Amino acid sequence: MSVSRRGFIKLLGAGTACLGLSKLGIDLGPAQAYAAGLKIEGSKESISICPFCSCGCNTLVHVKDGKIINIEGDPDYPISAGGLCAKGAALRSLHVSPNRITKPKYRAPGSAKWVEKDWDWMLDKIARKVKDQRDKDFVLKNEAGLEVNRLESVFSLGSSQMSNEECSVAHQSLRSLGIVHMDHQARV
Amino acid sequence: MPKAILIDTTRCTACRGCQVGCKEWKDLPPVATKQRGTHQNPPDLGPYNFKLVRFAEHMEADGTVKWNFFPDACRHCIDAPCKSGASIEGSIIQDEATGAVIYTEKTAKEDFETIKSSCPYDIPRKDPKTKRIVKCDMCIDRVRANLLPMCVKSCAMGAMSFGERADMLKLAATRLVAVQKEFPKAQLCDMENVSVIYLVADDPKKYHKFAVADASDAMKGAPGMTRKEMLAGVFAPLRKATKQMQG
Repeated sequence: MSVSRRGFIKLLGAGTACLGLSKLGIDLGPAQAYAAGLKIEGSKESISICPFCSCGCNTLVHVKDGKIINIEGDPDYPISAGGLCAKGAALRSLHVSPNRITKPKYRAPGSAKWVEKDWDWMLDKIARKVKDQRDKDFVLKNEAGLEVNRLESVFSLGSSQMSNEECSVAHQSLRSLGIVHMDHQARV
Repeated sequence: MPKAILIDTTRCTACRGCQVGCKEWKDLPPVATKQRGTHQNPPDLGPYNFKLVRFAEHMEADGTVKWNFFPDACRHCIDAPCKSGASIEGSIIQDEATGAVIYTEKTAKEDFETIKSSCPYDIPRKDPKTKRIVKCDMCIDRVRANLLPMCVKSCAMGAMSFGERADMLKLAATRLVAVQKEFPKAQLCDMENVSVIYLVADDPKKYHKFAVADASDAMKGAPGMTRKEMLAGVFAPLRKATKQMQG
């Protein structure tokens, strides 16, 4: 075997480095094997928004084989810079939880049981209730005789995640019913 | 180059994002819990909780109540006593590139009590299902892929930093000087010996029993490690670092 002077020094260097590391008791190899296989490797990354408070932190959602496998903070989002609190950090668990409700459920007045219903039934029911309540309680004039056109018996609890545009649409539809009590979940 | 994590507890709001982020990344199962009158939940590290934000309350001499937060996890000791205490080749390894101390599947064959008592920070736990001894692995899979460990990534308060050890030591010294202006008792916990360095504003015992090395268990059985040795030299580099900063 012929080794050039340059090659020899290289070999010597490598040997010394290994000796140094083994002296320190550091194992080479097994750690590399252990680190193999990053679970989000090859997954599709999408940006979403944490549904909790009004910080509305961006999240990175990793999807593989049609399933969400990881959700973490988005470093490009200027408010949190990739951070998430305990609620945001638990988003994947929220999504995959067996306790998560994925279908509309109805509990009749006085009943202790929840019954699964389809969306059409549920939306019709809600629309009917809102209309009936409005027709029943709509106030045209207050005690002083001033025109107020308001509905005080309905309260809207919105979402802190709504964009300006969504807020605008929600506001207009609620105002059109005369609703004056509005808030969102991050303030309560 | 070895890596390090700096945990500046003066910036921690105990939101527990790190604790949950860790659990999520590791796909660790939920643990039944109950109201115990504290936000510290679960009450201790466990086989399914490698990271735990500890809450410690005490009253000062002047009657003010202090509430200290301590995001506890493996310190990834530079000379890990658990690794020295292991009897099976390859059960506890140290990653060359990062310095991360990693427990492999071979820990199932180790004597749990020996490993647990060799740890001056009371970190190792046993998974009852797999029989493996488990703890934080510094998210070695993420770090290898050039991503931050999940706890550091999750921290929205900027209480945790990850990087080259040399850079973290510099940052630690800078922060220590800044924090000491308000909290004269502030200190860096066992900086010389560990890869996860905590900056605390007060006596470490007011944060957690094992905030700094407690080798009282190790002294009984495990070889060669005494509390005195573990702590030896901890404060020398600290003094040097602060001296440099203060000129």
